[in-house]
Amino acid sequence: MDLLEYQAKELFRNIGIPVLPAQRIDRPKDLKGLTIPYPVVLKSQVRIGGRGRVGGVKFVENTIDAIAAAHTIFNLPIMGEYPQALLAEAKYNADLEFYLAVVLNRTLRRPVLLGSQQGGIDVQAAIEQMQHVIVDDQFSPYYARRLAIKMGLRGQLIESVSEIVEKMYQLFVQNDLDLVEINPLGVSAKGELMALDGKVTVNDDALARHPHLAALDPKAEQKQAAYLHETPVVMESDGHIGIICNGAGLTMATMDMVCQAGGKPASFLNIGGETRWDFCHTTLSQRLDSGLELMMQHKHMRVVLINLISSLVPCDEIAALITSSLERIKTNPPPPNTKINKLRSTTLTLPPVRTPSLVVRLVGNQCESAQALLEAAQIPMLSSLDDAVMRAVVLAKSGGRSA
Amino acid sequence: MIFAPNSNVLVQGITEPLGSIYTPLMKAYGTNVVAGISPGYGQQILHDIPVFDLVEMAVSAVGAIDTTVIFVSPYAALDAALEAIASGIRQIVLITEGMPPADMVALLRKAESAETLIVGPDSPGIIVPGQLLLGIHPTEFYMPGSVGLISRTGTLTYEIARELTLAGLGQSMGVCIGGDAIVGSSFPQWLQMMDEDDATEVIVLVGEIGGDSEEAAAHYIAEAIDKPVIAYVAGRTAPKGRRMGHAGAIIASQVAELGTDIGSAQSKITAFERAKIPVANCPSQIPTLVKKALKLPTKK
Repeated sequence: MDLLEYQAKELFRNIGIPVLPAQRIDRPKDLKGLTIPYPVVLKSQVRIGGRGRVGGVKFVENTIDAIAAAHTIFNLPIMGEYPQALLAEAKYNADLEFYLAVVLNRTLRRPVLLGSQQGGIDVQAAIEQMQHVIVDDQFSPYYARRLAIKMGLRGQLIESVSEIVEKMYQLFVQNDLDLVEINPLGVSAKGELMALDGKVTVNDDALARHPHLAALDPKAEQKQAAYLHETPVVMESDGHIGIICNGAGLTMATMDMVCQAGGKPASFLNIGGETRWDFCHTTLSQRLDSGLELMMQHKHMRVVLINLISSLVPCDEIAALITSSLERIKTNPPPPNTKINKLRSTTLTLPPVRTPSLVVRLVGNQCESAQALLEAAQIPMLSSLDDAVMRAVVLAKSGGRSA
Repeated sequence: MIFAPNSNVLVQGITEPLGSIYTPLMKAYGTNVVAGISPGYGQQILHDIPVFDLVEMAVSAVGAIDTTVIFVSPYAALDAALEAIASGIRQIVLITEGMPPADMVALLRKAESAETLIVGPDSPGIIVPGQLLLGIHPTEFYMPGSVGLISRTGTLTYEIARELTLAGLGQSMGVCIGGDAIVGSSFPQWLQMMDEDDATEVIVLVGEIGGDSEEAAAHYIAEAIDKPVIAYVAGRTAPKGRRMGHAGAIIASQVAELGTDIGSAQSKITAFERAKIPVANCPSQIPTLVKKALKLPTKK
């Protein structure tokens, strides 16, 4: 989960990393109650970098200008995201701008300290100058000093910059972060330091043990792993094959095969493998049921390909679940959510509900009785993945939907 | 590494949902499960296995333990693994998915200094077909043979094991290094293990997008592996990550002196091809490539 700048700076302030006096602005008129003296800078609070270049950051000298600028920024989407808040911050005259970060490197399997004297908007320049120190063992401040020296710092700055890195590392460990970044770290003519922007990414798997951070983004929960296993990921708007699998690798392999066979996936859903410690029968059934329902609602969907390999849940149980879900979806279609559907539902004669065809591929125990169950419901079940993919692609090309 | 059929195995989290399902299956497959751990359940017998409150109590009652399989919840996994290391266990299989990476960093620092092998997390573990199950592989898809199977992912491994078995190609061992961002044992470690293993004649390596494990493996195979290797990479058509404009994420891969393109299926396939390793287009092509490598007739 990515924090917004003002949330990141709140963490900075609490741990003693210097930040400017600032105020969160939820609506333009909040600026009338501004307690920071002008000039101030107004910054769009979005989770996307490079907002300054597209007009998401404005300097203002007085309240009238500030309110006008705030209106503009609130109405400016940045890569599709509208800010819910702005940050009004005192202006700072930096002599130099550094880049500092602590990241978790999956290859090295260690946290890495990053630093460059070339911070600021030009990320490429920062990258070219980037110095790094791997925190191999238990952290101690000498790792931070090592970074400061590698960055080419001398004198007072060695101590002051490494103190900030040390605090960043504390934040990193205390809060289970994937990333904490200060870019730029402003350096004044007198050598004073100021975190002018901040980026904090909390690890999603660890979020549940940091309720104070989880509370900062109520939507974050929806982006978490458990939720991902319940909502299909949309691939191509003009695709017409839905894919439901269990396990990330199998889902990707199945999608690759559908594409190789000339099919166009509309969306895919990985209902999750079996390595969750609390996995049980109902986990799979619930996700399959809700996933199938969501897939069936898709307008252009012609075929839904279900490919499950389970050792825990017998195939006949899965087959029974598929037929009963399908029956429920067909006889009791989900509530309409588009305007066209609303119009339809008010007319007296309902058009026949057309649902996508199913192609099922199950591997595990009790395959034969599963096949019998599905055949009775006129759903093809195949044991070879190649055949199932081919069948789904051919069906999709011929229209796929059945009344 | 000791994966002998008679080696002593512990199950931590024997009363947890996944643990209670798989412990009897492991035992039924012939795995010598000598004890289980579940605080509060000490002195009970479950699935004919004595349960203890602490790992050290199990060790003093049943003797030295070679491998532990951990099924506890994600936030308890670090502690379980540290407890195992403290009791002298040198092979740990972490099944649990969703362990915070910071916990893995802490565990790996400890495990490296204690020379302990960590497999996982988010892994179905290890299977030696016909002999030993350390985890949750569905045994019905495997049969004894000479193909060593290494992967990062669960169900796709079963798929490939099944394809191999249907083609009459049994397996010497199946191991999943785990699907999480930070995992313990690496592809090179297992490649080396299987290169030295007498039962293995050919190695199938199953990769997927993300990270640089496959690139590292390709490099290692070219340098150090004598046995033939067949590769497969899932995720050629997966949507690209949306971490754009995020300096940390870009830089993190550059720090390891890798290009920004690293992690894509293409980067991995190119790495294998450069190392002259045949890459299968889909799982069902793997048996054909394996037969070619073994110089067996490829016609069915």
